[in-house]
Amino acid sequence: MANRTGTAQRPNGSTQGKICQFKLVLLGESAVGKSSLVLRFVKGQFHEYQESTIGAAFLTQTVCLDDTTVKFEIWDTAGQERYHSLAPMYYRGAQAAIVVYDITNQDTFGRAKTWVKELQRQASPTIVIALAGNKQDLANKRMVEFEEAQTYADENGLLFMETSAKTAMNVNDIFLAIAKKLPKNEQATAQGGSGQGRRLAEGDTGAKAAGNCCK
Amino acid sequence: MLVVYQDVVNIVQSKFSSTEVVKCIHLNVSPVNESWNEVHRILALVECNSSYALFVFITKKPKPSSISDLSVETAIPIDSNFSCDTEPIDNCQSHIIFIVSFRNRKLQFKIEIGVESSNFASEVIWSKEVSSSNKLDFNWLGKYTCATLDQNSKKMSEMSDQCSDIPVLRHQLAHGQAASNRESILRYQLKLKEPEYTQHQEFSIFVGTWNVNGQPPSVSLRPWLSCDEEPPDVYAIGFQEIDLSKEAFLFNDTPREAEWLKYVMDGVHFKAKYKSVAVTRLVGMQLVVLVNSKHYQFVKNVSVDTVGTGLLGKMGNKGGVAVRLELHNTSLCFVNCHLAAHVEEFERRNQDYKDINARINFRKQPPSIKDHEHVYWLGDLNYRITDLNTNQVKTLLARSEMITLLKADQLNQQKERGSVLLDYTEGDITFQPTYKYDLNSDHFDTSEKARPPAWTDRILWRGDGIYQLAYRSHMDIRISDHKPVSALFRSEISVIDQSKFRRVHEDLLKKMDKLENEFLPQVMVDQTEVTFDLVKFREPQSREIIIANTGQVPAEFEFIKKLDEATFCKDWLRITPFCGTIDPGEKCDIKFEVNLERELDKVYDILVLHLKGGKDMFIIVNGDCQKSCFTSSMATLCRAQVPLLQMTEEQRKQAENMESRVLYSIPRELWLLVDHLYRHGLKTRDLFESCALSDELIRIRDWLDYGSLDPIPGSVQATAEAFLLFLSFTKDPVVPFEIHDACIAAANNYQNCRLIIQQKMTDIHRNVFLYICMFLQEMLRHSNDNGYDAKTLASLFGDILLRDPIRNSKPQANRGKANFVYNFLVNDLSSSLIPNK
Repeated sequence: MANRTGTAQRPNGSTQGKICQFKLVLLGESAVGKSSLVLRFVKGQFHEYQESTIGAAFLTQTVCLDDTTVKFEIWDTAGQERYHSLAPMYYRGAQAAIVVYDITNQDTFGRAKTWVKELQRQASPTIVIALAGNKQDLANKRMVEFEEAQTYADENGLLFMETSAKTAMNVNDIFLAIAKKLPKNEQATAQGGSGQGRRLAEGDTGAKAAGNCCK
Repeated sequence: MLVVYQDVVNIVQSKFSSTEVVKCIHLNVSPVNESWNEVHRILALVECNSSYALFVFITKKPKPSSISDLSVETAIPIDSNFSCDTEPIDNCQSHIIFIVSFRNRKLQFKIEIGVESSNFASEVIWSKEVSSSNKLDFNWLGKYTCATLDQNSKKMSEMSDQCSDIPVLRHQLAHGQAASNRESILRYQLKLKEPEYTQHQEFSIFVGTWNVNGQPPSVSLRPWLSCDEEPPDVYAIGFQEIDLSKEAFLFNDTPREAEWLKYVMDGVHFKAKYKSVAVTRLVGMQLVVLVNSKHYQFVKNVSVDTVGTGLLGKMGNKGGVAVRLELHNTSLCFVNCHLAAHVEEFERRNQDYKDINARINFRKQPPSIKDHEHVYWLGDLNYRITDLNTNQVKTLLARSEMITLLKADQLNQQKERGSVLLDYTEGDITFQPTYKYDLNSDHFDTSEKARPPAWTDRILWRGDGIYQLAYRSHMDIRISDHKPVSALFRSEISVIDQSKFRRVHEDLLKKMDKLENEFLPQVMVDQTEVTFDLVKFREPQSREIIIANTGQVPAEFEFIKKLDEATFCKDWLRITPFCGTIDPGEKCDIKFEVNLERELDKVYDILVLHLKGGKDMFIIVNGDCQKSCFTSSMATLCRAQVPLLQMTEEQRKQAENMESRVLYSIPRELWLLVDHLYRHGLKTRDLFESCALSDELIRIRDWLDYGSLDPIPGSVQATAEAFLLFLSFTKDPVVPFEIHDACIAAANNYQNCRLIIQQKMTDIHRNVFLYICMFLQEMLRHSNDNGYDAKTLASLFGDILLRDPIRNSKPQANRGKANFVYNFLVNDLSSSLIPNK
């Protein structure tokens, strides 16, 4: 079976495609459920009392599309305001971002909008941004209307879903939607990718590899 | 197969003592980087008292039959330094490289993918896991290693001293390699799991061969190609000698190719439509592969190659042409050959066969014939019946004594000896020899030569799941001196169930993700916020945090720079160690030491602790700072009503306000220090060389900052050092940065120097400068006692009075600075004291 280098191929010859590697960052106010979303997506788990993230957690997860396989390198950032200044380390060079808010807390929606603005200004211009209204299982305590968020997302060209890390609602879906929306050009498949050098600080060689996809 | 395996296990076991148990073996292993074809190895996993070792045996035969066929090449203890891995081979799906690493040694073996290899690999990995938890004793290995491998055992003992590289190696195995090998592991696993997502579907394959003796096509090929009731799924039809002309031979060009192809297309089974997959030709050898058009879309990666083995060993009058393709998930290869002629040339034919195998290169993966799952070998192999004359052959044929005749068949004889088509199968021959006939007849050669009849035209196969349904000749086609031969096969082709494949593929990816995430480095820190006690000038304090490796792999940590920052921590902090590796279950203490040398209200920073290949953690360091005169600006000190630490908030604001009234012409603190030195230190030898205790300096600092009526709490040397420190750390240097260059330029002329300080310095700075110079002149009056001369003092104070924003950023300027100060040490200063208004 010819030409399998670099891509996994369906044994009958049709390309099962490329494995595209993407850096994805989660942003949002603290305690909106960023880590819970990731944990649900990657491990299928949910902890009612998820520890506060102090730093940037890192996990990987692969998603299969019809013709490609997308491997996410997920950076789950600390939500506390005092770590805000460090966020650019993680969203710089990211090809995708999920900005999370808590539908029971209007402030977190406002904070989410600030994050979106910051991403639009500072992150890669081709970054795929998804807005996640988390804690949908608490819809009876809702403070942010679905339509309001949907309208905001439409105006800003964001993917939008209300999610629940607790019930798993829309968790896979939002990652899948991002995977579908990401451009799978040649460079994104650059094999080996940013595997080791994930950070995109200046002078970091990994930056080039991961950053290529969006150029 | 199973029987053979167990036999070999028994033979291998006989190499060991009864306490040393052979757990499993792997046959047919060839070391990479050696001519793989002739050197056979066997790997064996052996256990003795819960310690395992991997043995490499050299074996004389692929399957040893006695203990003397085996000799130990290497024995590798399986301990924490041992690791194994697999790596795919480019262009090859049937084999992989099995890599064994032990300390600095690395052995690589090529093994066939299959049940045996996966069993063996999992046994070895399992034994490695068991080993890591036990105390191991490998003394029993000594008798094998010393006896056989002097060099290697020496090398090994040398290497056992170099333990430092092991964490690195393990670390690489833990993620570096895993990540880069992800793709290949996936491919290998998919191959292993093939039975889960493929099913066998039977395809009928018609293989035909005919030496047409240079005749142009003139009769229908139906009797040959359409002799079966049902249409085959695949046709592979080989011709030899389609053109015997010089042109064909020299230029490899003939109109016959198209003609025969047309006759083939006309001759195939009428019940199905066929599409041509490949047509290839070398001089007179032509191979046509067709598939039933309903299967056409499942044919992939078609490639052809030809090899000439004729005149000069490379001309195309003899040789082979081959087509490879994939039908669904099975790789097929068809080889049509025309081997050397003449009864006595059987060795030449064997050689031609080897040459074709060696030289066919499809320039695709896999490149060579042997790597295909199904191979069909057809053609005019030209092997004759030996030791029987024409009449004898004819008589035996008449009596249907086929067994006798087939025993005299050279191909059968050579195959038996392992000289040709070793692992190919041929069906029973029940048809008449296909050579040599009088043209347009069914009579064997009646010419003068009267060549004995022979089965020159043959079809063989290799691969699993191939069943021959028919093997026959076609007597009614009479235009050549050969009869066409055909074989019909029912072959199991592996067909992928897309939905099952998808599930297996996704499953594997999930497992790999899980593995990858599990093997990410994980650490915990005991605190993410470090708070110092009140941070005071030049009074270092430290805090420790503990990093514990809670993951399964060594964690390589490092404090890293934040975006747009030049260093990973601020200048007031020192982190030791700032990087390192922690083994699983181990801990590492990190010391944070703060040392304040400039004026700050508080120290605050977020440190980023990065794990290589994993997450980042944030650690906040903070602490409030105490003001000190040592780091204040002289302008503030001159406006301070009371010592710094006695100030009310109100007084502080007033002192810091540059509009406020200047209360002192020089800072009070400076005066206190100099006054003390003036009274007690002028005659002290090497006053400025001494190194005071830090306690003493801290007492002097507090004495100045709090204000006290007590005498200064320190020796005159400590006071001198405090004086130098004061000048070194004040917020602004005595001579402002921006006029340093002018000062250095003016250093040769005292009048110019005077002008600079009169015109370019504020009153306070000028006062301080002149005050210090006058004190130094006073020092020089006591040179005999204190041992200082003007040059020494100028050099010492040049650096301090004209200090750089970043210490020693321009060391070459030091001389100029010293010269500048020198002017003020050797000239009368009285005129400079009066500002030039």
